[in-house]
Amino acid sequence: MKWRRLWLLPLMYLLMVGEVQAQEFKTTEGEVRFLSQASLNEFTGKSDQLHGLLDPEKNLVDFYVDLNTLKTGIGLRDRHMRDNYLETEKYPFAEFTGKMQGAVSFEVNQTQKVKAMGVFKIHGKERYLEVDGSLTPLGPNEILLEANFEVKLGDFDIAIPQVMFYELSETQQVKIKAKLKK
Amino acid sequence: MDQLFVNRMVKRLVLPLLLLLFYGNALAQLERKLVTADPEVELIFHAPRQINLLTVEPLEEKTLHFAIMHTFGPLKEGVRNLYGLDNGANIQFSFEYAFDDRFSLGASRSGRDKFYNLYGRHHLFRQKKSGAVPVSLSLVAAAGVNTVDYTFLREDAPDFSERSSFAFQLLLARKFSDKISVQLSPSLAYFNAPMAAYLMEGEQNLYLALGISGKFKLTGKSSLTLQWMPNLNSDLRSNVGIGIDIEAGGHVFQMYFVTSQALNEQYLLAGGNGVPGEGFRLGFNVNRIFATGSR
Repeated sequence: MKWRRLWLLPLMYLLMVGEVQAQEFKTTEGEVRFLSQASLNEFTGKSDQLHGLLDPEKNLVDFYVDLNTLKTGIGLRDRHMRDNYLETEKYPFAEFTGKMQGAVSFEVNQTQKVKAMGVFKIHGKERYLEVDGSLTPLGPNEILLEANFEVKLGDFDIAIPQVMFYELSETQQVKIKAKLKK
Repeated sequence: MDQLFVNRMVKRLVLPLLLLLFYGNALAQLERKLVTADPEVELIFHAPRQINLLTVEPLEEKTLHFAIMHTFGPLKEGVRNLYGLDNGANIQFSFEYAFDDRFSLGASRSGRDKFYNLYGRHHLFRQKKSGAVPVSLSLVAAAGVNTVDYTFLREDAPDFSERSSFAFQLLLARKFSDKISVQLSPSLAYFNAPMAAYLMEGEQNLYLALGISGKFKLTGKSSLTLQWMPNLNSDLRSNVGIGIDIEAGGHVFQMYFVTSQALNEQYLLAGGNGVPGEGFRLGFNVNRIFATGSR
């Protein structure tokens, strides 16, 4: 009886929906930078493999970066950062998933201030976060997103040993910049 | 519709639909993917040096590793000499620069016998997380010269060639678990003309030894370290060291007890050793890595 294959319908629906959703702007090469400003030492870390998704229709913002791709310019420091602080073997990603406040205008080259609200996750801990940023449509199929926010390491159970307070800042200033394409 | 059919429909249709609702939500997000599926194993050791031996821990391209190493007098001198600290440290400064991720060149100078050493470290392959490559293998070659002027000798001072010595090491290391790493370092040292005036016990030209380094992680940022170097072709006592490594940001501090005051690759094999216990000396290294150039 044909009913037996009825369960395939949802899957087909899923495939079709996947095709139709063309409102998605995506990137796999966004830029993340963080700045650690402690009294004795200042350094930045950088990755250009930020993956991002922006779907104005569904009002979805979704970003993640593989923390193993973060580089501070000193290999041994990177390894210590991954091993001791971020524990990337257990928690490889930093992620943000949320919504944007207000509607997005698609007027080309008009920078608009936006605010995203959602959940930021790093080191296995989740926190609600509001991020101020800007969106600049660069064309009908391309949009530039920039945002700055701060991450307090203590909020995510990333402990700084006493002797390190001069070298590593508790508050990390994070900057992201991504060109998302349809 | 009989009951069986309804049951079946629930199973076949409703469950997938429910799944779809949840899955649909999940699907909206990007799939999280690691950039490198099978990465190299990192931090087999805390630093490019551990106690007195070089390790397989590589330097990244265009970075400079600076190590200042000290070994003091024997502990048995007691509190009067502050357990050997009064008794003049042997100090070695070493700078190692990485031209790329595989090859680095270093220069060091140790106080005993005013010894200058040039060495290279080449990383042939590195352990992979999946086990596809089970060990890391590196090569070390060194050439050094003793620059004491020896004006106090009755005979002529040795010439450059007679002052020269060489060392080769094969570093074979494996991180067995998050806590335990072991390195085997078959080592060779060759002195063109060992003289009695040299601050070493050995009198032969060629020395062979098997260096064994161990690291046992105590906390995220500190480890217990071990070093044992059985001599293979001489009657000299074997080198024994035990210590602790502490990571503090860009620095790695290494404190240890060791049976020899030797700090360079050649003298480690030829220098001779005290008896573990009363012959131990306090040692202390500071490792720091600097980035050079713009990036």
